[in-house]
Amino acid sequence: MNRRFFISFSTYTFIGASNLLYSNNIIFNKFQFRKDIYNIIESVQKHFFPQDSQLPFASEFSSIEFLVSTIYHKRFDKDIRNFVISGAKDFISQENGQFINYNREDKEIALRKFENSSRGSKWLSRIMILSMEALLSDPIYGGNFRKSGWIALDTKGGNPKPKSRYINL
Amino acid sequence: MKDIIYDVAIIGSGASGGAVAYQLCKAGYKVVILEKGQLIQRDEFSKDELAYCRRDIVTPNLFDEFHTIEEKIDGKWIETPTYQSGWSFWNGNIVGGSSNFMSGMFHRMHPDDFRLKTIYGKIDGANVEDWVINYNDLEPYYRLAEDLVGISGYSKKHKYEAPRSRLKFFQPPTEENNIVNLFDKCCNKLNITPLVTARAVLSKNIGKRDACYYSNFCGSYGCSSGAKGSSREAFISPALATGNLTLLSNSHVTHLDSSEKIIKQANIINNITNQKLKIYAKFFVVASQAHESVRLLLNSANKFHPNGLSNSSGELGKNLIFSAGGAGGGTFYKDDMSKIDFNNLMDRGLFINRSILDWYIKDDWWKPKEKGGLVEFMFEHQNNISRAVNSRYKDNRLLWGEELAKKLKDKFTKTKTLRFEIFNDWLPTDDCFISIDKKRKDKYGMPVGKLRINAHPKDLEIAYNISKKVKIILKEMGAKDIYSSISAVPPQNLIAGGCRFGDNPKTSVIDKNCKSHDIKNLFIADASFMPTGGSTPYSWTIYANALRVGEEVVKVLQKKL
Ligand SMILES: Cc1cc2nc3c(=O)[nH]c(=O)nc-3n(C[C@H](O)[C@H](O)[C@H](O)COP(=O)(O)OP(=O)(O)OC[C@H]3O[C@@H](n4cnc5c(N)ncnc54)[C@H](O)[C@@H]3O)c2cc1C
Ligand code: SF4
Repeated sequence: MNRRFFISFSTYTFIGASNLLYSNNIIFNKFQFRKDIYNIIESVQKHFFPQDSQLPFASEFSSIEFLVSTIYHKRFDKDIRNFVISGAKDFISQENGQFINYNREDKEIALRKFENSSRGSKWLSRIMILSMEALLSDPIYGGNFRKSGWIALDTKGGNPKPKSRYINL
Repeated sequence: MKDIIYDVAIIGSGASGGAVAYQLCKAGYKVVILEKGQLIQRDEFSKDELAYCRRDIVTPNLFDEFHTIEEKIDGKWIETPTYQSGWSFWNGNIVGGSSNFMSGMFHRMHPDDFRLKTIYGKIDGANVEDWVINYNDLEPYYRLAEDLVGISGYSKKHKYEAPRSRLKFFQPPTEENNIVNLFDKCCNKLNITPLVTARAVLSKNIGKRDACYYSNFCGSYGCSSGAKGSSREAFISPALATGNLTLLSNSHVTHLDSSEKIIKQANIINNITNQKLKIYAKFFVVASQAHESVRLLLNSANKFHPNGLSNSSGELGKNLIFSAGGAGGGTFYKDDMSKIDFNNLMDRGLFINRSILDWYIKDDWWKPKEKGGLVEFMFEHQNNISRAVNSRYKDNRLLWGEELAKKLKDKFTKTKTLRFEIFNDWLPTDDCFISIDKKRKDKYGMPVGKLRINAHPKDLEIAYNISKKVKIILKEMGAKDIYSSISAVPPQNLIAGGCRFGDNPKTSVIDKNCKSHDIKNLFIADASFMPTGGSTPYSWTIYANALRVGEEVVKVLQKKL
């Protein structure tokens, strides 16, 4: 099984203050994440988890901040990190950098068009997985603000809750 | 400073290593456990899905340490390192090994499983051999493991249930979800016998271990109450309490140095400080989980043993087996329930504890007896992220927005999926073995293990036939979307074989007490000794046999000293 294939098709199997840590500038400075890449991923996530849905809005559960801090964590697979970034560049170029300015209908058309290519569909799937991790992981990771993801789905995490991210023993 | 010479050095602290250490420490011997992983204590575990289930926090990073998997694709053997596929063959590399993360569904092997060749005859294309011990030899250790690990259950007479020298279980079963009433009723109607699955989980407090609190997140997670009978809880803690055990965590054994007849030392590298050390002992017990034990012995080749330690037979690594068969399930929909109140299904954390043994042996009067398999039932794993991730598509289209919200809401609040797993013999064949990959090395510079994986066609046929019968039960229960998936892809967490035991040094790696035929002070304690694996998950047998091996090492030490 080829890794590229796997990366793309894998189906795997009280923040409060911590949100403030993720102001955009800190993220850009710390990870040198290009602003256009940040913006397009954020915009895609907002389309995936819009404001008027039964699930929390993407920015309510800090989906982009979660994504950036997650993919730059030392335990995260570096191939997937590179894929997240290079896929974003492809999407920017497909839409000539205009995606973030589109209205909802045009965004839908652009995303479905990108999904038609194998690389595009894999990238969208990866952004979705990372967004779902933000929505439903323990709030200690900075997403799932005040357990809003769990509450929306009438579910809970288990006990005991983690006291630090990634078992930082 | 003079080097310490331990009585016994054990490589690996999982189910097998812990049980051996316990026996030795209780008998008063000085033991060192060399464990590559870190120590995570009971009160440090949490139900952190991201850390435990979606990142390699309790297993090595696949770019640092990996395996090479060889699968037959379109008639050709294709090699893929696991850092490419992401298909990890690490199962839990912390003190206590994979046993920290098991679900604890425990089964004994049937007496026939020890004499498969004699009773069921030769099977073309399979290297089936009888065990050199029989069920009665292992029964006292199954019972001992039941008491020490803390196995709860309820014994009901069944023609294929392995005989028990004590009928009553160590503890009564854990609490069960109401669905079992419907399950039992439907089975009875279909003339199928539902049995209570034994579990390596305490239903009552005992000593320093508290009863299960039904955390809803058992398999793949460490246990915070001590209820789960991991090696860490059941064996390593009491062994440490004797004062005879030295536990060296973060200590990866790269290779063993030996003369012609004796292992002299284990070479370890501390995976935090990179410091190298040599550990001396009178006896060495390898217990690193089947595939890694084989790799360690192959990587320890030297001028006396050019093909690896304990490999004069050339059998080391051969006949790798898995505990597998197939899986499937069916879903109950809140809006379409007639046989049970949906709210009952949503009670968090309670177990199902049901298995079926009716098809373990096919014993029809008109044809020769054949082996079948066991079926185990459980709810779909309750991990929130993975349940959402698995629901992200509809007709190969990624869902988002309101469509996704509706699907997830329905999935989480209006459905419950009952799963089943089939375990039947994974027949040992020439096309399923462990070797070392001469081209690829891990971060310590040692060749990685290469696993060639292939299943015998018979395995798939048996699993398929059983799955058809299980689906009838699910249908009777009112489940919808019933499916099964039977394939030759093995579960990487249930692994055995590679160091067959036997009386003949020309055809086996170790003797009936799991002592090397070639090297006087080497024992192998994990599931690699198994020539066949029965139609059950392995861990009760692993615990039982390791307790037996521990006792043998004590006997040898007593004679020596
Ligand atoms: C999620 C999950 C669910 C499971 N559920 C069940 C179940 O319901 N029923 C059942 O019967 N079984 C179950 N199992 C399987 C069970 O955990 C294993 O069969 C059992 O733990 C194997 O014991 P072992 O001693 O061979 O290996 P392990 O318990 O894995 O221990 C091996 C140890 O050796 C260490 N090691 C390896 N190489 C080296 C080295 N070179 N140097 C130092 N240390 C080394 C490893 O880090 C590890 O700690 C499950 C496993 C998992 C992961
Ligand atoms: S408390 Fe019970 S359910 Fe939770 S991990 Fe421990 S044994 Fe499993």
